[in-house]
Amino acid sequence: MQVRVIGGRKLFFDREGFLNDFEQWSEELFDLLANECGLLVIGEVHWRVIRFLREFYAVNGRVPLNRQLREGTGMSLLELEKLFPEGIRQGARRLAGLPNPKGCL
Amino acid sequence: MTINGLIHQFVVDPERVLLDILREDLGLTSAKQGCDRKGQCGACTVIVNDKAVLSCLTRAAALDGARVITVEGLGTPENPHLIQHAFVLAGAIQCGYCTPGMIMATKALLDANPEPGTEEIKKALQRNLCRCTGYKTIIEAVKLSGRFIRGEITPDEVRPKKTGSVLGVSHPRPSAMPKACGSAQFTADIRLQGALELAVLRSGVPHARIVSIDASEAEKMPGVAGVMKASDIKGTNLLKIDAAEILCKDKVHCVGDPITIVAAETLAQAEAALSAIKVDLEMLPVLDNPTAALANDAVRIHADLPNVCYEQPVIKGNAEEALRNSAAVVEARFNTQINHAAPLEQEATVVYWEDEGEEGDAKLVVVGRSINIHAHLGMLQEAVGWENMSYIEAYSGGQFGIKAHIASEGIAAAAAVHFKRPIRYIPSLAESMLMTTKCMAFQMDVKLGADAEGNLTAYCNDILADKGPYYFDAGIVRALMTLSGSYHIPNINARGRMVCTNNPFAGAVRGNGQPQVGFALECAIDMLADKLGIDPFEFRFQNSLRPGQGTAIGWIAKEWPFPEVMRALRPHYERAVQEAKLHQSDRVKRGVGLGAGAHGVGKTGEGATAAVELDADGGITVYAAAADPGEGNDSMLSQLTAEYMNIPLEKVRLRTRDTGDTAASGPAAGSRITYMIGGALINALEQLKAAMWKVGAKTSEKLIAAGKPSRYVGRKKNEDGEPMDPQTGQGPGFVSEIHGVQLVELEVDTASGEVTILKITTAVDSGTVIHPQNLTGQLEGGMDMGVGYALREMYVAGKTRDWVTFKFPRIQQSFEMETILVQTPRAKGPFGATGVGEMCMVPTAPAVTNAIRNAVGVWICDLPATPDKIRAALAARKK
Repeated sequence: MQVRVIGGRKLFFDREGFLNDFEQWSEELFDLLANECGLLVIGEVHWRVIRFLREFYAVNGRVPLNRQLREGTGMSLLELEKLFPEGIRQGARRLAGLPNPKGCL
Repeated sequence: MTINGLIHQFVVDPERVLLDILREDLGLTSAKQGCDRKGQCGACTVIVNDKAVLSCLTRAAALDGARVITVEGLGTPENPHLIQHAFVLAGAIQCGYCTPGMIMATKALLDANPEPGTEEIKKALQRNLCRCTGYKTIIEAVKLSGRFIRGEITPDEVRPKKTGSVLGVSHPRPSAMPKACGSAQFTADIRLQGALELAVLRSGVPHARIVSIDASEAEKMPGVAGVMKASDIKGTNLLKIDAAEILCKDKVHCVGDPITIVAAETLAQAEAALSAIKVDLEMLPVLDNPTAALANDAVRIHADLPNVCYEQPVIKGNAEEALRNSAAVVEARFNTQINHAAPLEQEATVVYWEDEGEEGDAKLVVVGRSINIHAHLGMLQEAVGWENMSYIEAYSGGQFGIKAHIASEGIAAAAAVHFKRPIRYIPSLAESMLMTTKCMAFQMDVKLGADAEGNLTAYCNDILADKGPYYFDAGIVRALMTLSGSYHIPNINARGRMVCTNNPFAGAVRGNGQPQVGFALECAIDMLADKLGIDPFEFRFQNSLRPGQGTAIGWIAKEWPFPEVMRALRPHYERAVQEAKLHQSDRVKRGVGLGAGAHGVGKTGEGATAAVELDADGGITVYAAAADPGEGNDSMLSQLTAEYMNIPLEKVRLRTRDTGDTAASGPAAGSRITYMIGGALINALEQLKAAMWKVGAKTSEKLIAAGKPSRYVGRKKNEDGEPMDPQTGQGPGFVSEIHGVQLVELEVDTASGEVTILKITTAVDSGTVIHPQNLTGQLEGGMDMGVGYALREMYVAGKTRDWVTFKFPRIQQSFEMETILVQTPRAKGPFGATGVGEMCMVPTAPAVTNAIRNAVGVWICDLPATPDKIRAALAARKK
């Protein structure tokens, strides 16, 4: 468990840096976490992925498979993996505030 | 022969048994295999020529002209037999793995004797084992079956009425009747066309370097598709929760560690090829106890992990000073054993492919025994290197914590990816024991003090926990969080150390650390009461924590109805003490013992999700991965939904088993499902109900037409908190607790050291009761399990290979049970409810050993309390 104060709020992350509470995510937090992992230029294409991930999780209560992510964003797996410095699992999902895919919850 | 009224003709190999014919040739899978065909479990019981027989031991060739009946021949879910009705209505079905065998043994008994007594029932069912339900309710189900058959009462007269509130009513579980009729499919019941069968070569030694593996001969053997090593696994080969490998690459760390997989067209071919594999192992020094692992010159089991892999103090106040100033102090060392959780079903997995649309992106479907399908899916995707995957929970034959860990799934999924074929991996019972996590052994050095008025002053506990080789800290963390049990102890000085050894690897088992620390504390409480000359009941009652006071880790209790539970038990305790005085002989002594506990539910910061959808007919479908290996989570979800939405139970549909359509709700562990997932469900229903009310819609069509979604995701999120302080262990605790106290009445034969349990009475408060039968069922099954843990069971790798060597509790050892329910609604529980599943394991063992002490005057501080230990203690006392 890591505790960080960001924007005046105390936020809790797991050992691999995944946010503990999906609902505490914000666009400002995304900017900060993206910057920390070397994603310095954020474009509409990134937001398309992040929005899809968050909407999918909000409606289904689970993370999408890559196939669903491809269909939802209209992008290839290669494009998606390249888009985020740590790929889809450790990168896009983490930056979108989704739970750790290997976590207990 | 005639099977279920149909004539069949078979030409059989002399070695084949009736179980093979039923399961493999006819697909009649109600008869289960649960004991490697040793006739030890009774799950394969069928009727042959009017007698109950074990089909795993019955040669098919000897059955020419025989009349065979299986549970499929009794009735169907639409038209069940009266015995099937009785087992469902009595609440005698939890996981359901033993149920068809139990029902067939019951039918054979009642056909011959329509009104059997308890002893006759015990004799008739003596070959049938049950781990979940407890034998008390099974005996009641047999008696109810008799009443139905004799026409004294009908199922309709027993079945709860469908009027009024559904809370607090034992409506039949949705899954119970399919289990009673044999139509519920467990993993090994699933047949896959073209599937390869697996056999796994496992280490027979506890610590060795793998020098070489030569599978060249095995690969040439008939039917063999190939042999896999760790290097053939496409992914990381690591299962994160235990940091264990699917296949060992360089070293084996304990007996049973997997080395190679053989895949073949048949299981016999795979097993034959195993013996042709040559593995060269270089033996390494073995750490077979935690104390040896502490030595400075001890061999390091993992290069990147110290042998003392977890250490955490818990410091509150000044315990040493408080002990010096105490009127009485007791000091003792307590030991608990490595134990197997013992679900009756083997650890099976089947895997198949679907959606072959795009090349290289077929979907891998894993069907198995997980109680945490979404997290296990995430681990498997990475470990085997295949992303497009789903996990489906089959009907599962008990679990008790060990299915929080991946066992057979990693091997089966890795083999499917490697061979690009469907896979069946159905390991034997002996192999299932080798591959699963075990209850962690604790050594605890304890000091407990009190002042002259009998108020607890201080508690010290130095814990050394034997982790085995793979890291998983949840058990030791829970043990520290619940160190002070039910009591207010102002000064604490404790240390929890978890040590890597080459013993079996420990993981979550019912209670997960709490039964161990509970054993030490509750025995020390009795020792101290004895020293002070205070009645142990009054001593517990006097020292209860009160709301506003802190636990060992400084967590301030908001709800703590332990005194109410004690009050409910008091008349039973007083009665038991009086009766014990009247039943003493020179040889057989009667004793009374108490054990208490507060089992934590829901960690700080923990969350759960559940989704609901309004259906076209006004019914509701619940989508939540709330695994149900026998506890009755299907009842909980159904009854909460029906109650909250005021709809009939029949209109609640559950989707709980598939990662493809469920919300990721977290593990069915830590007694959290009702409190956490039930809480998330209520949150989802609140949203749905508000939307329906706003537009006046009662069906999905009208709701959608009004511009509202028909599906809502609910969340239950416990407030976040700082982690445990590394220096003092002070920090957040569990957000809810179950409170319980048990009263054990037993007799000890002073000559043999044998203990006979006469009765256990449990008083428990787990909030509002949703389904009384499910709640008492958890406690009763847990009492049988707890007594096994207290008196007989232990696991020794390589030696404990089946249910006889494990000393599985049997119906002849069953005893009278009574449950007293105290209902204090929990402020944040769904309708005031919290969990209950593990509570029973916390107090049982100390209540048993305290009763032994009460009977014969000796403390047994080393579990299990076997006759040998009792005799030795009695002999030592005489000297």
